[in-house]
Amino acid sequence: METINIILSGLGGQGILFMTRVLAQAALNKGFNVMGAETHGMAQRGGSVVSHLRLGEVKNSLVRTGTAHFLLSLEENEGYRNLPFLSQGARMYVNTNSRHFPREAAKELLEKRKIIYRSIPAGTIAQELGAPRSSNLALLGYFSAFDEGPIGYKDIKTTIDTISPKRFKDINLKVFEAGYKKGKDFKGNSFD
Amino acid sequence: MIKQEILLGNGAIALGLLESGCQMVTSYPGTPSSEILPEVVRLMKSEKLDTYVEWSTNEKVALDNAFAASITGKRAACCMKQVGLNVAADSLMSAAYIGTVGGLVIISCDDPGPHSSQTEQDTRFMARLAKVPVLDPSDPQEAREMVGLAMDISEEFRIPVILRPAIRVSHARQNISFGPIKKNNQKASFEKNPQRWAATPRFRLVLHGELNKKLKEIGKKFENLSRYNFHNLESGKIYPLGIIAGGIPYSVIRDFLAEENRTDIPVLKIGTPYPFPESLAIEFMSACERVLVIEETDTLIEYLLRDREKVMGRLSGHVPAEGELVPQVMHKLINNVLVELNLEPLQADDDHEAVQLVKDLQLPVRRPTLCPGCPERAAFFAIRKARPKAIFTSDIGCYTLGLNLGAVDTVLDMGAAITMASGFYHSFAQDSVEQPIVATIGDSTFFHSGTTGLLNAVYNDSRFILVILDNQTTAMTGMQPTPALGIRADGSEGKAIPLERIVAGCGVDFIEVVDPYDIKKTTSLLKKAVKYVEDPKGGMAVIIARHPCVIAYPDKAIPQKKKVIITDDCVECNFCLDRFECPALYHDQELGRVNINRELCVDCGVCIQVCPKGAIVEA
Repeated sequence: METINIILSGLGGQGILFMTRVLAQAALNKGFNVMGAETHGMAQRGGSVVSHLRLGEVKNSLVRTGTAHFLLSLEENEGYRNLPFLSQGARMYVNTNSRHFPREAAKELLEKRKIIYRSIPAGTIAQELGAPRSSNLALLGYFSAFDEGPIGYKDIKTTIDTISPKRFKDINLKVFEAGYKKGKDFKGNSFD
Repeated sequence: MIKQEILLGNGAIALGLLESGCQMVTSYPGTPSSEILPEVVRLMKSEKLDTYVEWSTNEKVALDNAFAASITGKRAACCMKQVGLNVAADSLMSAAYIGTVGGLVIISCDDPGPHSSQTEQDTRFMARLAKVPVLDPSDPQEAREMVGLAMDISEEFRIPVILRPAIRVSHARQNISFGPIKKNNQKASFEKNPQRWAATPRFRLVLHGELNKKLKEIGKKFENLSRYNFHNLESGKIYPLGIIAGGIPYSVIRDFLAEENRTDIPVLKIGTPYPFPESLAIEFMSACERVLVIEETDTLIEYLLRDREKVMGRLSGHVPAEGELVPQVMHKLINNVLVELNLEPLQADDDHEAVQLVKDLQLPVRRPTLCPGCPERAAFFAIRKARPKAIFTSDIGCYTLGLNLGAVDTVLDMGAAITMASGFYHSFAQDSVEQPIVATIGDSTFFHSGTTGLLNAVYNDSRFILVILDNQTTAMTGMQPTPALGIRADGSEGKAIPLERIVAGCGVDFIEVVDPYDIKKTTSLLKKAVKYVEDPKGGMAVIIARHPCVIAYPDKAIPQKKKVIITDDCVECNFCLDRFECPALYHDQELGRVNINRELCVDCGVCIQVCPKGAIVEA
């Protein structure tokens, strides 16, 4: 089976490590071998943060540029910053409120490389549900709605249910569902 | 029952330690090693083991403790980052001569990049310097296994052994299967033998001879250690190019070649770079016309290859001499070599356009910053306000980021805020210049390396203000407790040692404690300290700026939330952005004033005291 490479990006403090843990655990539950790379230490203090996640028979934890199948970014600029990782035909999910996503300069390249891009105001959704720091879960829900990866809505939901700390479990699931719904609605309107 | 968990590389190392029967684990936190000890604690609790664990005050203390455990016959380990091994170097060099009884493994994590360190130094060279074996794992699973090997070698040859995981081992995540862990019941005993344990120089010479003999024996063992040192040559075949690699570079290369089924390039994997399995390398090289050596971070393998005529690597300029060897860098350098040798390159890289696009987009540089609500930000603001012309010496921790606020001028090593301040003071005083100096050091760093410098400053009559930024945790590395808290590594109670007592013990007479959230009070206290250090009858002044870290203690740090708004009095002077630099404050183009990012704001309300126009107010 071909290796699946995923990049998760954003800013320190946005919950990228948790998002990575959810996807990694969900993949393991589905029988994948999991290899990932995380950012700890100084860079976590508000700087650019990237996680790499590789599913398959690999030894090395870092994704090479030009070979990622998915990019989930909790911040728009960090999404652009990690574009070099994406392969032809990759998929990109970005948390942004901008109506002008993607920026004109990026659009050409994305289309040339047949990269499918989608955005969601994950931060606003999380904030409206009273959990401003849970945009990571809204983005995960949104991602799961398109069912394009090896790990789907149910796998991710079950994992969030299992690994969330008790006091955050309900709100985590609620934000995840809201993101999922947003994705389902979008799909209904624009894709099918 | 066998279970499977996704473990951090550091978790896999912790598992390896417990599986090898390690009875004592000591550590001082430092990226990328910090999670090893907490993972030991988690796993030993779930496996009901009675492993002794401690956060030691520094790396030398950690190694000395583990060394003593080893000479009682127990298995012991100490964990640190690569620059921490510098602190423990004194202990390491001597321990190599004296030798061990029970297994002693030193885990020193390297940081090619560097991502979170002062240097990119290569622990393998420290092993060579100390003359102890070093193992170089290429992924978490191998690191786990190598811990057991290290323990066995240490015990068999009575020598400390270093395990060197690079950051991409320590901070990789991998699914790892494991079963129940057996308890090691080895009891402590100490056989007196002063000629060894307290050897004088005459006996040190004998011990050096013994050490050399051990290394020879271990070298022979490594030649045949085919699990970690191996190649895939077909016998009788001659290859135009072979690659010698170890650690993470081996994993990257192995994935590249497997993805493209490239069997035309043989690889020699070196898992034990020192003592170097030289015969194996000679065997490999004799079947290759040219050999490319890829290792992290420096040139140990390259140096140890005595015949370098065929070798391409860092010394020949084929491998970058600094920075992390991430896959795209390695892909490129391997292809350059393949092209140079007229061999078929790996499939072309696909990132040029995207890399150019990212450049063209001129994305904002996201430098790390202190967190919203961080008490150190408030302290730095007050320091700059009270002593604008001072030299600001600082230290290693989150608060290094005070440089964003113009309140950090120097960072050298752990404890140098104090020692460099002394050096600055005497350099200027010699010229009769009264140069104001304010040193800042974190609580954990002060415990690690602050006291000797402070004693020295008092004894030698240095005059400067030392601000101990006491956020009651070791924040940068993930909130490990400090000796001031009275909480130990396993969560049990320890004796709390207040900073004030240590500072007083160092001979300081001016000691004040303040909450830096109160900027006015902090500023006036600093001014009082200025008078004291400038008074001929005065001396060193120490201010403990005490406020809990917002990440470690979110409730305690902000007991009363203040929702802050910005009024139309804002004149866009940007003073708050430049001098206070809270990530939650930003300039809003549309509104034509500063605004607050509610996603980031933690309602600490400290910025209310910062605005010169009074435009930041409580709602």
